[in-house]
Amino acid sequence: MVSHSLILLIAQQKKLQLKFNSQVAMKKIKRTIPKSKKTLQALKKRPVASSVVKTNTLKDPLLDKIPHSTLEEIVRQQTDELKVRKGQLRQGADREKLGADREKIAEEQLYIRTKAMESTFDGIFIIDAKKPDFRIIYANLAFYELTGYSKSEVIGKNYFLLYEASENLFFIDEIKHSLLQGNPFQGEMIHHKKNGEKFWSLLRITLIRDKNGNITHYVGNKTDTTLMKQRELEIVQQREELLHVTRVGMLAEFVSSLAHEISQPLTAILSYAQAAARMFSGKEPQLQEILQYIINDDQRASEVIRRLRLLLKKSTPTLEPLNINVLIKDTITLIMTHITVKNKVLKYELDNNLPLIQGDRIQLQQVVLNLISNSLEAMDSIDSRDLLIRSSLKDASTILIEVKDSGSGISPENMGHLFTHFFTSKPNGLGMGLPISRSIIEAHGGHLDAKNNSDCGATFYFTLPLCLKEHHEQ
Amino acid sequence: MAITSKKVFIVDDDESVCRALKTLLMTFNFEVITFNSAKSFFDAVSIDEPGSLVLDIHMPGLDGWQMQKQILESGSRRPIIFISAEKSDNAADRALKVGAVGFLQKPFDGQSLVDLINSTTEKITVEI
Repeated sequence: MVSHSLILLIAQQKKLQLKFNSQVAMKKIKRTIPKSKKTLQALKKRPVASSVVKTNTLKDPLLDKIPHSTLEEIVRQQTDELKVRKGQLRQGADREKLGADREKIAEEQLYIRTKAMESTFDGIFIIDAKKPDFRIIYANLAFYELTGYSKSEVIGKNYFLLYEASENLFFIDEIKHSLLQGNPFQGEMIHHKKNGEKFWSLLRITLIRDKNGNITHYVGNKTDTTLMKQRELEIVQQREELLHVTRVGMLAEFVSSLAHEISQPLTAILSYAQAAARMFSGKEPQLQEILQYIINDDQRASEVIRRLRLLLKKSTPTLEPLNINVLIKDTITLIMTHITVKNKVLKYELDNNLPLIQGDRIQLQQVVLNLISNSLEAMDSIDSRDLLIRSSLKDASTILIEVKDSGSGISPENMGHLFTHFFTSKPNGLGMGLPISRSIIEAHGGHLDAKNNSDCGATFYFTLPLCLKEHHEQ
Repeated sequence: MAITSKKVFIVDDDESVCRALKTLLMTFNFEVITFNSAKSFFDAVSIDEPGSLVLDIHMPGLDGWQMQKQILESGSRRPIIFISAEKSDNAADRALKVGAVGFLQKPFDGQSLVDLINSTTEKITVEI
């Protein structure tokens, strides 16, 4: 009986192998395996002698010719094979599951990407590149908001027709030319909304190619850069304003210095001429006449200087309550590009608890800008990069601002002349920056000075009183 | 009395200005002694030595204001006339405020200086 069932089992297994790829077969095999296991265990338990006896009772002549051990081996092999197949089947099922998972993930990703395209602030659009008329086949929500056009006015329309209202004809040619050459495009231009409103637009168009390298689509990305442009413009204006004030300040300082230098000899000439006129009083009429001419011309020169001084009168500080840290940061904004280009690293150590000071914003910005510019120039020829700006409370009534560089420091012979008019160690310097800065700080009741650092470089520092006392102009 | 009170000290770091003012004041019969710094004046002139002082404001070392303060603190009542080549709106006011006789912006007419000096000598003469 047992051997017969073995034969049946073998036949069944063979039959099953034919249907292996179906899930039904799988289930059957699953059912069969425990059975064959049981059979095998029964065979193992049975004594060899009785098996011979029982074998004799079998009517199948084929089985009589096969030794039992061989049969047992066959069943074992078949079972092992089945186990392997079962494993393979499971893998197949796993693969199918994996495929389904992947499909789900792909769907999710597609959803996220679509959502991302729809939620971004950049206007995104896709143009069919296979047709010659730059037809838009997709545009995201931001594109409609940015341009002011509705979906029906965009989809299926020539992208460049949206430019009709604008004056950027040159740009249109450039964009078309670039795309038709197979190159991406990037440019910033003033664009017009449907209602004519202007905005700054950064436009980038990239190309999509198929497997054969043929361009199938253009993908455009339009960013509204109006705010950035405005900010840039503001920074440029502020910088210009500051530079203008600095230039005027320099000119005033220059005239003041020149006037002072000329006034001294004019004083001497006038006194000499008046002395001579007195010495020859009542005598030598021709000499008297000449002396009078000298006196008159001296006074004429003095008058020219007086007018020049009036014209370029140093502006008196306009005092307002100022947060010195904000002022420092504002000033740095104006020079940040310069710092980055020079590959320098600017660090702050600003005391956030400083009280407000009374000061002239523009004039103090001028000082901070001048000190930073000097520090950057001091580090020009040197690999050192660090620039530190520190604000702190020096004592209860004074704040201290330090600009510390890691440049070459100040030589002892230059140290004494730093604040002298027209003294400069720079090839293109005027020698006006530091004297002007010092006079501004002194007009604010503070003090500006410099010292060499213990390691390397120099520190320029100035103090400002918290309460501005009446300052006497000298 | 009249002779000593006509003594004038000039302190100015500009050599040429000192020499020219001395030449001019001498034509007005003043006895003039010049110095190029506050230090050289303090080294040479005692507190009680009579004479007016024509004092430049901008000088290296002690400037005119500081020098005047020091003179005042020493107890001297020496008449002082400030002069300066630097343009300053409130120097004249400040000069009077600190007790000086007056202020003259360079270049100035010699007669104005003489008038100021004479006003001080007259004042002193009257007081004495």
